[in-house]
Amino acid sequence: MRLSHFEALFFFAMIVSTVFALITKNTPREQLRYGLFVFVSFLFVALAVGWIMYPLPL
Amino acid sequence: MEQSEQEMESTPPPEVYRKPVNLAAALAICSGGWLVPGLSHILLGKWIRGVIFAVCVIVMFALGLGMHGRLFDLVVEEPLQIFAFIANVGVGLPYIVAEKFGLGIGSMSITTYDYGTTYLWVAGLLNYLIILDAFDIAQGRKP
Repeated sequence: MRLSHFEALFFFAMIVSTVFALITKNTPREQLRYGLFVFVSFLFVALAVGWIMYPLPL
Repeated sequence: MEQSEQEMESTPPPEVYRKPVNLAAALAICSGGWLVPGLSHILLGKWIRGVIFAVCVIVMFALGLGMHGRLFDLVVEEPLQIFAFIANVGVGLPYIVAEKFGLGIGSMSITTYDYGTTYLWVAGLLNYLIILDAFDIAQGRKP
């Protein structure tokens, strides 16, 4: 199975945010809001850190 | 009167806490949840949540195997592998089945090896969190 970096990140964020939301919040509305927040945070932070590291000679 | 009915409709339903089950039953439920991800919530009557948890953990585990991640065994000579083993074994029956069929050997030459290994770890660690959640529900600490 060949997933790109972004696809691997996307599926990881989706699954982990779903479990986190269901574990930490009780009502469906809270779960949806928190799950979306965690999911978007995963993607945003990963992309931001990626761009920050881009000019570094690694 | 009409206003109070409207207020009742707009307020969310009260959260129902379970009557605590005894510790032995709670541990048995958690053991079931360790063996089959999501089973503990299903046993506690939370069908939808249990099915979603099962799908999440099993899909993550399958993706990890598909990306040629590595499953770690308990090797006494390499003590640092114990942590990886603990993370892997958290997924329960799928780990045992995968080991039985020789899956999860891992191939470092494949670019997705690291991702796959991480997926396999996180699948097990998520299942530990799910088991703890089920324990709290069984003890009446969570709705």
